[in-house]
Amino acid sequence: MVTALGRAALSFISYIGELAILVYDTIRAMMVAPIRWRLFSDQIVEVGWRSQFVVIVTGMFTGAVLTAQTFFQFALLGMKSGTGSVVAVSLFRELGPVLTGLMVAGRVGAAIAAEIGTMKVTEQIDALRSLAVHPIDYLAVPRVLALIISMPLLVAESIGLGICASYFVGVHILGISGPFFLENLYRYLGARDIKMALCKAFCFGVVIAFVSCHQGLNAKDGAVGVGRAPTEAVVISSLAILVLNFFLTLLLNVIFPYGQ
Amino acid sequence: MITIKQLTKTLGSQRVLQGVDLEIVRGETCVVLGRSGSGKSVLLKHLIGLMQPDSGEVWIGDENITNLSERQLGPIRKKVGMLFQSGALFDSMSVGENIAFPLREAGIKSAKEISERVAEALEMVDLAGEERKMPENLSGGMRKRVGLARTIVGRPACILYDEPTTGLDPIASDSINRLIRRLQKRLQVTSVVVTHDMRTAFTTADRIAMLHEGRIYFHGNADALNASTDPVIADFIEGRAREVEEATHRE
Repeated sequence: MVTALGRAALSFISYIGELAILVYDTIRAMMVAPIRWRLFSDQIVEVGWRSQFVVIVTGMFTGAVLTAQTFFQFALLGMKSGTGSVVAVSLFRELGPVLTGLMVAGRVGAAIAAEIGTMKVTEQIDALRSLAVHPIDYLAVPRVLALIISMPLLVAESIGLGICASYFVGVHILGISGPFFLENLYRYLGARDIKMALCKAFCFGVVIAFVSCHQGLNAKDGAVGVGRAPTEAVVISSLAILVLNFFLTLLLNVIFPYGQ
Repeated sequence: MITIKQLTKTLGSQRVLQGVDLEIVRGETCVVLGRSGSGKSVLLKHLIGLMQPDSGEVWIGDENITNLSERQLGPIRKKVGMLFQSGALFDSMSVGENIAFPLREAGIKSAKEISERVAEALEMVDLAGEERKMPENLSGGMRKRVGLARTIVGRPACILYDEPTTGLDPIASDSINRLIRRLQKRLQVTSVVVTHDMRTAFTTADRIAMLHEGRIYFHGNADALNASTDPVIADFIEGRAREVEEATHRE
């Protein structure tokens, strides 16, 4: 039991160490090597544009269902018009970044790990190296930059659509007064909530990018390894997002305190 | 051109290379022979810095590349090209884009120059006009030829071939062997060919090095290899599995 725990702890520390080396190499590559803007724009399309359907559905239905649930509870207390503000603050502070992060981890993280993993086991990464191209410059940097830039935009889009869906469901289906819905939303929603959402989105983008690139670059054992890489990328990214979200919430509530 | 000194490498629990010494002269084609799993490809990957040895040194020209970082190896890798066993083509790019890749990475911007050099490289490997095909539509032999075109388009001084005929039919193998020989004459490059195929060895080699139990067991020309009465060499040349034979005798 103790041996197993020790082995798991060592394996965790070793994984964090490998991830830290990848982060260091990527940041260094951004500074010493030219950035491949064409690959970066390809990744923006892959991460940002091709995630549209997933993000739209996630944002709209999260906003809609949260509105309905909040309304049913608030109606008992006679606070129907407060529904919009609760939904908006929840979307900005927690649900928007976390759910979008999880969806992007599933779609983009898996694709990154599978693509790089396939390149690894078919010697394409060795071929890159033999042609004097650093794999970090060519594979990691464009993906990391694309995720860092796309994630805040995707989260903003998801939250925006969630609030629109919330307005539609609250006002047009559940019968909340439109002006009261908006009035409460403006009163209780502040710049701090927007900053918190964007900070979380940035951090989740970083996590997905590095975890997925790491899983791909370390794929081995042929087809089995390539199959394992995206699965582990999604699982590790998702768990990291959920755990990191808790600590970010504590930290960001200190940086952007409520009521100020 | 290439000097290997006391190279050792352990993978997992297996000591693959146990002190390899080898010198490859400029302009010659050296074939490294050995059984599957004898460490030939591992040795080859050390020559271009794709693997780092546990101990020993690799010199390319007058430069010790043993402890160079990935970025420091860049200029060396522009001088030494490598053909991978599977061709290792970038499957998201067409044949033409694969071959143009090293040129674009070298900073060549002129589309005309790139297309001319791609066409020239394809012509050298007998695949003229195949620029638009995708790697998934190529046979094993064609993939290796395209891989070779990508390797030679940057005009390296040395080419490393990792099992160039493995998985090919005898006719495709023979055509790759002739291609290696022809390129060696036309481009005057130093070549290192790793193989267990005796036809490749005898067709392409100026000198042959045989890797056995992690060391260079034999180093000489093809005639000397053929004339050897050493049982390990004779068994390898004739493709005899000694253990099987002995077991049969015992029975």
